[in-house]
Amino acid sequence: MGRQVCIASAGFSEHASKRSDVSMPELVSEAIEDCLKKVPSMSINDIDAFVNGNMPAFEGVNIPELWMTDWMGARNKPLMRITTGGTTGGSVAIGGYYTVAAELPGIDTILAIGFEQQSQGDTSTGLASVAYGEISVLNSLGITYDQLTQLLSAGAAIGVASYQATNYMRRSKITEEDLARVVVQNRHNAAKTWWAHLKMPDLTIADVLETPYISYPLRYGMVCPASDGACAMLFTTEQKAKDLCDIPVYVNGVGSVANETGVLGYNGSGAGQLDTSEQLGAMKSAELAFGQAGISFPRKEIDYAEVYSPFPNQELMWIERLGLFEENTASEMYETGVTALNGELPINCSGGVNSTNAIGASAMERPAVAALQIMGKASNQVPKTVHTAIGHGWGGVINLITMMVMSDKPTRKIN
Amino acid sequence: MSKRTLRKSMEYIKKDYVRTRTMPGSWYLSSYKYKFNITHFKPFLDKLKERKLVGLQCSSCNRVFFPPRIICGKCMVKPDRWVDLRETGRVATFTITYLKDPETGEVVERPIVLVQQDGSDTTFTAELNPDIDYRDTYIGMPIKVHWVESPTGGLMDILFYDLVEDDSKDLELRKD
Amino acid sequence: MQKVGIVGYYQVKLYSDANYGRYEMIFEAVRGALDKAGLKKKDITTVISCTNDYYDGRTISNAFAVESGGAYLADESKVEMDGAHALLYGMMRILSGNHKLAVIWAGSMASCFPYHSTRLFETDPTWERPTAYVNDISALGFQMRAYMEKYGVNAEEIAEIAVKNRKNASKNPLALKEAQNPNLTVEDVLNSEIYADPVRELMVAQPCDGIAALLLAPEKQALKITDKPVWITGVGYNQEAYYLGDRNLAESKSMELASKMAYKTAEIKDPLKEIDVAEIFESAAHEELILKEALGLTDKGKGPSLNSEINGEFPINPSGGAIGGNPPCGTGLIRIIEATKQIRGEANGYQVKDVNKAIASGQIGMCAQNNIIYILEGGN
Repeated sequence: MGRQVCIASAGFSEHASKRSDVSMPELVSEAIEDCLKKVPSMSINDIDAFVNGNMPAFEGVNIPELWMTDWMGARNKPLMRITTGGTTGGSVAIGGYYTVAAELPGIDTILAIGFEQQSQGDTSTGLASVAYGEISVLNSLGITYDQLTQLLSAGAAIGVASYQATNYMRRSKITEEDLARVVVQNRHNAAKTWWAHLKMPDLTIADVLETPYISYPLRYGMVCPASDGACAMLFTTEQKAKDLCDIPVYVNGVGSVANETGVLGYNGSGAGQLDTSEQLGAMKSAELAFGQAGISFPRKEIDYAEVYSPFPNQELMWIERLGLFEENTASEMYETGVTALNGELPINCSGGVNSTNAIGASAMERPAVAALQIMGKASNQVPKTVHTAIGHGWGGVINLITMMVMSDKPTRKIN
Repeated sequence: MSKRTLRKSMEYIKKDYVRTRTMPGSWYLSSYKYKFNITHFKPFLDKLKERKLVGLQCSSCNRVFFPPRIICGKCMVKPDRWVDLRETGRVATFTITYLKDPETGEVVERPIVLVQQDGSDTTFTAELNPDIDYRDTYIGMPIKVHWVESPTGGLMDILFYDLVEDDSKDLELRKD
Repeated sequence: MQKVGIVGYYQVKLYSDANYGRYEMIFEAVRGALDKAGLKKKDITTVISCTNDYYDGRTISNAFAVESGGAYLADESKVEMDGAHALLYGMMRILSGNHKLAVIWAGSMASCFPYHSTRLFETDPTWERPTAYVNDISALGFQMRAYMEKYGVNAEEIAEIAVKNRKNASKNPLALKEAQNPNLTVEDVLNSEIYADPVRELMVAQPCDGIAALLLAPEKQALKITDKPVWITGVGYNQEAYYLGDRNLAESKSMELASKMAYKTAEIKDPLKEIDVAEIFESAAHEELILKEALGLTDKGKGPSLNSEINGEFPINPSGGAIGGNPPCGTGLIRIIEATKQIRGEANGYQVKDVNKAIASGQIGMCAQNNIIYILEGGN
């Protein structure tokens, strides 16, 4: 059952804090044009089906894939929509993979699209409304609105990350300088990527440490921006991919295991995750994806990784949880240059989410960049040959994770 | 965003035609009414009025939930056993928020903690005694419930948490 | 296409204002489906849900529902269209060979939000929303008028469909109480409150509270779990143009293309002879006629001539259809569950005789812009 799935191309639109020169559908068509530019023998009419997703709270349009039917080229074609919040892009990419792997008759080539135009709406309201329903329960049980606003300001995405940061810093004894070093490396990498948002080739650690605190231990200079942008990926069968590009990228493993919520529980109860830097869901997702791909030693077998880390403490945490480095050694790797562009295991050479964050698209840009690095067509290409790479995303209330493992050889078993 | 990051993001070169028009709109959340189940909360709130803490235990995995949870996700059953809990607990994690006081305009630093009560397997948000300096908070700090003068049977009956004074020498206190 | 089997299902009774909390309702549906199939939580490998952020009043509506839906440490995801599309994604996960048991749950509570005003957010914010001519009810009015004028069908024939569906709903114990009208007549329907001429109140599917859940397994596992599996042998889905002016509202092009795809996969040449019953998601009575014609059961404009009562020539919606209760995001999955009941012979009170093959459909968008259709088959 099932068949091998290949990625033939990936495309991006320009990312900026306010793309006021395009409407949402036009932003999507930019990404699709860039994706199809790399495979000139395929036109928009050859696409068999579409998978689309974003986070609808930011733009004020419900199910926008209906509106952008014509801009995607999806008139009279099959279309499916997947949205899972912060991990939307990763879930859409996984949805594209399953659509091809299912072997439905007549559906061989899929275009997967993730997009977001955050400048059209209010980002903080959109993010805070994740918990409105549960916070209203606490209000009716007696907690006053003042305390709830405090909870919300700490419970929004940045607050959730700062709880995680405190836990992680206690385990691994990192300092703020380590965090600033990660930020500097990401922003330098973004300066060489044409579509990234915050390009800062001259940033130094001292610059980052001068900025004021948002909530301990994260400072203003360390956090990700809010961008507008879109990303598109082309999934197809093994045969078609060999005709379209020189190095087809095989998708060998996927996983998106969910866990109980952290920080705030549902229906007024407490949160189940006692230590949010432990991330049982991420470890299980990685186990599942690596198991499907037949990888037993991630440290040696993975050549490149794109992890989803809007905040620098998360980058250090994820590369340990996903099995790439030993416990509490991540900050050393940044000091010694193992994770730099010409190091042994480069991480986030596109600048990562720390430099570009269009929420609906960013979890898809991670596997997209990893695939382009394998194909040799990335904007900030690493000098060594990449054979196996991973793309990762997280979201929800620190409980949803997506993982995709890709390689230039098929290692997934079909029975 | 700091001025430096703002400046750099403007470097995107805008295209050469007239800007698109903008239309106002709003997404009203005020017209929603969220429905939630309250039957499993009644014994918990009644005990709070008597200044006692109880948690709800799942009989198949023996996890204790404080405040009570309606469904245990691991076992897919409804927990039904009530257990008594002590008033002490530990700080599971914390963060420091910097909020602007609306009247005075100055930035106030306040710690917010996630508390794990002794005997329970969940955390929930709470405040610390305003006299505790935010620089002294650390993970694993032992704390105790400080009740309000006349409890009314709601979550506000727990006013805040006090630091536990301990004078035993074999307790290991780690400050990070 | 390999066969995928439906091995269990459960639908919560529909209420217009249920005395439930959201998580309790989800738990009842998923636990009920697992108990019916005799399975445990540890057998679940993947969970697909279908809810909508705007209808639930919260972003990432699946983040807090992880535990109630049985997705704790299981591979889960969310589709934001109709419940029938969530079934499509679950089916794809099974067909890829990666999973052994999929749980699909869908639905929401319409008593918590103003349904018709929230549907305004589907309209194009740069043109349609400020002019405010198009909303879901006025779009139905456009569609009904276009159909009536093009084919000379009159309002009485359309009202007969509403009467039939409401009578069928009165035999269905799980349908909405307000939709169970066994003694309704055509005059009652034509004299009910007018929504947008010529659409009347009793012709439109009423939004309500409800959640449904379904279990899927690949062929080998399905035969071990139950002795009455229902196979999905064909699927087709399609989306047509968005702006109402770009479409021919008297027909449903997306349903025609979707049904062609499904018939080809299931190798069906003459649907009228080979299929025994159809459960179609119609948001108003006239849509049942339009979709009936698009499925190829009759010629264009001859929809009313095919008798679709329970004991008629080709029964359609013996459970009452969406007019019998429309929980937003859940109705498509309920149609599939009703078709499954007909094949297994478990539809007490409204069972059609000798059902072996059935059609079930779902839709989303104004005037059924995106349609999905399944061909279900019984037998080992």
